[in-house]
Amino acid sequence: MSVEASAPPARRILIIDDELPIRRAIANAMRTIAEDVLYAESAVQGIDVAATERPDLVILDLGLPDREGIEVCREIRRWANMPIIVLSARHSEREKVRLLNAGADDYVTKPFNLDELTARVRAQLRRVSLHEPSGATEMRIGDLLIELPRRRVSRDNRRIELTPLEWEILSVLARHPGRTLTHQQIFDAAWTRKFGNAQQYLRVHITNLRRKIELKPAEPRVIVTDPGVGYRLETDE
Amino acid sequence: MTLDHRRWLPVVWCLTLVSVTLILLQLRGRIDQVPVVLIYLLVVLGASATGGRALGFTLACLAFLLIDYFFQRPYGLLTVNGINDALVLFAFLCTAGVTTYLLAKAGSATQMAQQRTAEIASLAKLGSEALSAGSASEGQNAITRLIRESLKVGECVVEPPDHEVAPPSRAEYSLDHRTLRFPLVAHGRSVGTLRIRSDETLALDPAQRRFLDALADYAALAVERARLVAATEHAEVLRQADQLKDVVLASLSHDLRTPLTTIKALAQVSARAGDPNAVIIGEQSDRLARLVDDLLDLSRLKAKAFQIEAEINSIEDLIGAAIRQLAGLPALPRFTVTTDPAAPPLYAKFDFVQTLRIMTNLLENAARYTAQDQPIEIHGRRVGSCVEIVVSDRGPGIPVEERSRVFEPFYRGRQGPSDTKRSGLGLAIARHLAELQSGKVAFAPRPGGGSEFVLTLPACDPEIAVESDTAQTL
Repeated sequence: MSVEASAPPARRILIIDDELPIRRAIANAMRTIAEDVLYAESAVQGIDVAATERPDLVILDLGLPDREGIEVCREIRRWANMPIIVLSARHSEREKVRLLNAGADDYVTKPFNLDELTARVRAQLRRVSLHEPSGATEMRIGDLLIELPRRRVSRDNRRIELTPLEWEILSVLARHPGRTLTHQQIFDAAWTRKFGNAQQYLRVHITNLRRKIELKPAEPRVIVTDPGVGYRLETDE
Repeated sequence: MTLDHRRWLPVVWCLTLVSVTLILLQLRGRIDQVPVVLIYLLVVLGASATGGRALGFTLACLAFLLIDYFFQRPYGLLTVNGINDALVLFAFLCTAGVTTYLLAKAGSATQMAQQRTAEIASLAKLGSEALSAGSASEGQNAITRLIRESLKVGECVVEPPDHEVAPPSRAEYSLDHRTLRFPLVAHGRSVGTLRIRSDETLALDPAQRRFLDALADYAALAVERARLVAATEHAEVLRQADQLKDVVLASLSHDLRTPLTTIKALAQVSARAGDPNAVIIGEQSDRLARLVDDLLDLSRLKAKAFQIEAEINSIEDLIGAAIRQLAGLPALPRFTVTTDPAAPPLYAKFDFVQTLRIMTNLLENAARYTAQDQPIEIHGRRVGSCVEIVVSDRGPGIPVEERSRVFEPFYRGRQGPSDTKRSGLGLAIARHLAELQSGKVAFAPRPGGGSEFVLTLPACDPEIAVESDTAQTL
């Protein structure tokens, strides 16, 4: 990717979790990428802090005592679009889809690895910087080059021919690199009509798309499947 | 009709016969012989209908004599003059005899039917009482009490089936004829023995025996009911315990993950600070998390509670996702996809998430038994109306005697590494999940050494591939 992975200045991360030891451990890990770490130990307090302090990213534990985590997600989404990473003890894909559709940007299943969480936070912060006006409009994944304004994708300077629908799918994923988009989200963005079995259409077109842009379609490195949830564009670290 | 009544009936009918004769004598000469005979016939019919066969025949004979004596010329003599009179008398006697016989027969049949009805009614009442009594044992007691009272015996008990003493195959009297043992059979199987004991010698007439047979059937049903009630109560207790276990398991997995997260996170913080013990703590918490998952899987497997939503999915997508999930394995095995990339993509109908578990279980299993430098091959192919995904390894294979047990829960190959990290549920879950979506998982020894696990899924051709998005390119 053309954007450098250097940590931009003055990052502020809010951790909403009711368990002090987890808060501490996460804060500890976040200090390497964030300048300031904020805490909240309940849903109400978390929404308050998010509203008044406007952090750059929120880490939200779903097992809060006072309110459903998904409500916190929706509430914050009403007035802010900073990335939200959800920590969940539940394993169900349905739950993940619900969270992503409610506005969460990523989720991490408990018990998680701190390095993994840190990597996800980094990816989200990078994605935000992409969206800024100076953000990249082209991205390189290995030797694959995606140029969004020119609607062009090429490998080793050789243009790859895509159908309009395949390009729509690729570009919506490319506009959210590293973020899992649910089947519904991709369908809504790439298709003009609003009916049909989103997942079924999408799977066929993704399979075709992968055969064109992946070196090994059965071991994809660009468009990665998030089982039961959706797809995500992997970027080079 | 009371007995008292019956005693007076012959007298009443004889008086009727006398009065009828006196009245008819007044009319003699003015009426024909036929109405006279008919009126006598009426009297005979009335007598036999109310008084029975004997009275009917007696009156018929008396009437025969009266007709001959008073109403056939020459009057006052018991002689028959001419064929006409003889025919009248003969016809009268025959008609009276036959009707008396038929009436009496119908009467006794009616009486028997009434008796039967009463018997059946009392049995039905008893049956409903026995089967709807508050508790099963109350019903049983009601029956034994009834037997005691109606047969006037001192003791009547139901003995449970004894495994040492075979139940009698039919009613058996003891040597002194004071005890009767009776097999109780419900739904074709012995449920116990009915024992009746009397202080005197037991002598049951056929009616009593019949009654006892019927009651014994009820007793058997009551015993069976008691057993079923007990079994149902037991099953209910088990069901509740099972439900409780599921709830405990579900909340366990949720509740355990939260502290595990804390332990793991803190261990990582300490490990970064250079604490070697913290690394071990981290590894062990990972292991604990896996065990929690296995536990949940086991309960789902037992309760058959895996949820399946089969949809059209791409085999390539499935294989890619499976390989990616295993990329985190400590010693990364070399997976090779040998499907021809130029062949048209394969599609099948399956639940993506659950089938991914089948695939990762098969791949993990292959990886566990394969040396690191040996590749594990994954091959997808269309076979008729099915799609097969073959996972082949060059591991030690599975000895013939163990092959039938590969898919049993907790099976762990003897030749495998002695790792206790997994519970041995992987293949059992894989097979169960495949069967839930009309597929199957099979094992075959691989030619040239090693194992082949084949996942079969129902194939499917998505017509939508050509939908609106034509070959038109940008």
